[in-house]
Amino acid sequence: MMFESGVNLMKEKTSEKIITYVLAILLAIVILAPFYWLVISSISSKADLLSTPINFFPKKIYTENFKKIFTGGLNISGGEVPPFGTALKNSIVVAGLTSIVCMIVGSLAGYAFARMRFFLDNQLFVLIIAIRMLPEIATIIPLYFIMKSLNLINTITCLVLVYTSFTLPFVIWMMESYFETIPIEIEDAAAIDGLNRFGIFTRIMLPLSLPGIVTTLIFTFLTAWDEFLFALIMTSTYQSKTLTVAISEFTTRHMIDYGLMMTGGLLAALPPMLIALVLQKYIISGLTSGAIKG
Amino acid sequence: MASVVLKNVNKIFPGDVKAVIDFNLEIKDKEFVVLVGPSGCGKSTTLRMVAGLEEITSGEIYIGDRLVNDIPPKDRDIAMVFQNYALYPHMNVYDNMAFGLKLRKLPRAKIDARVKEAARILGIEDYLNRKPKALSGGQRQRVALGRAIVREPKVFLMDEPLSNLDAKLRVLMRTELSKLHNRLQTTFIYVTHDQTEAMTMGDRIVVMKDGYVYQVDTPKNIYDHPANIFVASFIGSPQMNFIDVKLFAESDKLYVSFGNAKLVIPDEIKNKINPSYMGKEVVMGIRPEDIHDEPALLERYPEYCFYTNVDVVELMGSETFLYMDFEGNTLTARVDPGSSAQPGDKIKIGFNMNKVHLFDKDTTNRIF
Repeated sequence: MMFESGVNLMKEKTSEKIITYVLAILLAIVILAPFYWLVISSISSKADLLSTPINFFPKKIYTENFKKIFTGGLNISGGEVPPFGTALKNSIVVAGLTSIVCMIVGSLAGYAFARMRFFLDNQLFVLIIAIRMLPEIATIIPLYFIMKSLNLINTITCLVLVYTSFTLPFVIWMMESYFETIPIEIEDAAAIDGLNRFGIFTRIMLPLSLPGIVTTLIFTFLTAWDEFLFALIMTSTYQSKTLTVAISEFTTRHMIDYGLMMTGGLLAALPPMLIALVLQKYIISGLTSGAIKG
Repeated sequence: MASVVLKNVNKIFPGDVKAVIDFNLEIKDKEFVVLVGPSGCGKSTTLRMVAGLEEITSGEIYIGDRLVNDIPPKDRDIAMVFQNYALYPHMNVYDNMAFGLKLRKLPRAKIDARVKEAARILGIEDYLNRKPKALSGGQRQRVALGRAIVREPKVFLMDEPLSNLDAKLRVLMRTELSKLHNRLQTTFIYVTHDQTEAMTMGDRIVVMKDGYVYQVDTPKNIYDHPANIFVASFIGSPQMNFIDVKLFAESDKLYVSFGNAKLVIPDEIKNKINPSYMGKEVVMGIRPEDIHDEPALLERYPEYCFYTNVDVVELMGSETFLYMDFEGNTLTARVDPGSSAQPGDKIKIGFNMNKVHLFDKDTTNRIF
């Protein structure tokens, strides 16, 4: 009897495994198919790309798009190719600066809200979260006028300020909840061992919140990296445009350069992917850290 | 090594929550003092005020001869052990213990010597390279103790350090802590809600409730002469029996009566009772071990005996607990395991009247 049931169990396990794998593969196809098409489009000539029946792999690897997107030249409708390199650099600077500012200010503020009691602390915290509830687009006109009066339109500073304004509340919230999961006795022990408040923050709290910091950092970077609407409104020069805006400009009044657009999209997807790959072990522990003690 | 003095210390939290009220205590150098009481009694807050982790609302705290009211925790020369260990999870055992010494810029060789010595005392030498998460609860608690020992502080503060351990380990660590105290010859202040820990470890016990100190004395005096009903009920397990009785004098003898029972009060106690209690209702307390059912003993003291009904008999092996009902009062007796009492029996029991405690019904204070 025992052996029989054991065999049944094993059969069940095998069929369970098969189902799991089939579902996982289906899910992977759904998620990866657009990305695959992005890669294929960037290395196909226009003829290959638009031919019917569809070529799921180009007959010939076409590298012209990559050359053109970095060196400039004429696009297929005869217009100037916008300087993609500058846009890439702008995006890296904007997303990088936004992340740095948000993480420094956000973790300090989050710590204060998590551990210190001061006048109107709860009210302030609710106010900050409430700002996050506001649809970002509602602020676009006032923000435009503010930036204009500060002479910041068409600058990197403008985008960093705007992105920080709507990402920072979230960072404060995330960091505050992360700090709250760390037992306060560890801080008490550190205070007795000889650290002051700032030492506790830098030498105990920050190392212990690394998963939370990395998760929040990636979120902040992606928010700034992917942002399109504000970048479109606030910038109109090549010196200040970011990737998302630059990619959209491959669509002209007369035609769409799919090859360049897809190449731009692929290049834009690489930095966040690299970051996610490098930091993924922290992201996973970051997501589960609140669930179990320690 | 130092004395600790708390003078009129008060702690009021925002919202007018009075956590500690007018706390006065002088702790002698090398003394082991236990603060005990139910949760929320202010014992942990008191300890945290001594540590400097909690500001005091008013009063004065001295460590040695130094007023420490405004001195930060790191400069008070104390070490603290927490209930949940509070180890640094990102450091290995060695670094956890060495951290405080490194911050104080001690020479590396000295740090190494102290950490290794503490590890040897606590039997954790083999784990020095492990992270806390790779240790069991008992090992973690040893590391937490080690972190305190290496600092060689003037005062050890312990906040329920054994509460997270399982029962067996708790008993073991209890004796080890007592040994450690003897070995280190340092002042210990120990907080617990467990009266057994308080009784077994403390040189003196401070019993607290609702922010007030109810009694400060040696374990023996607290057990034998509780100052009020709360202390009498809190210390001792199973807890003391309390019966509402009437005190009255009759032909030069003093009696207590409850229900149809009438027991005589021995003369030594009688002489200590203020005559103003004559004819009044008071609360009589008697510990379970002072209620007897051995026939030979009962025959000798018929004036201490009466009949009750047995409800429940609990065999503990080395002793037996009898739960009895006497006209609405539940009485618990700790008797010899050879006792033949069965549930439902009507048996004769006797109170050892030399061991009774009498309390004022209104103030709940002891009346002799």
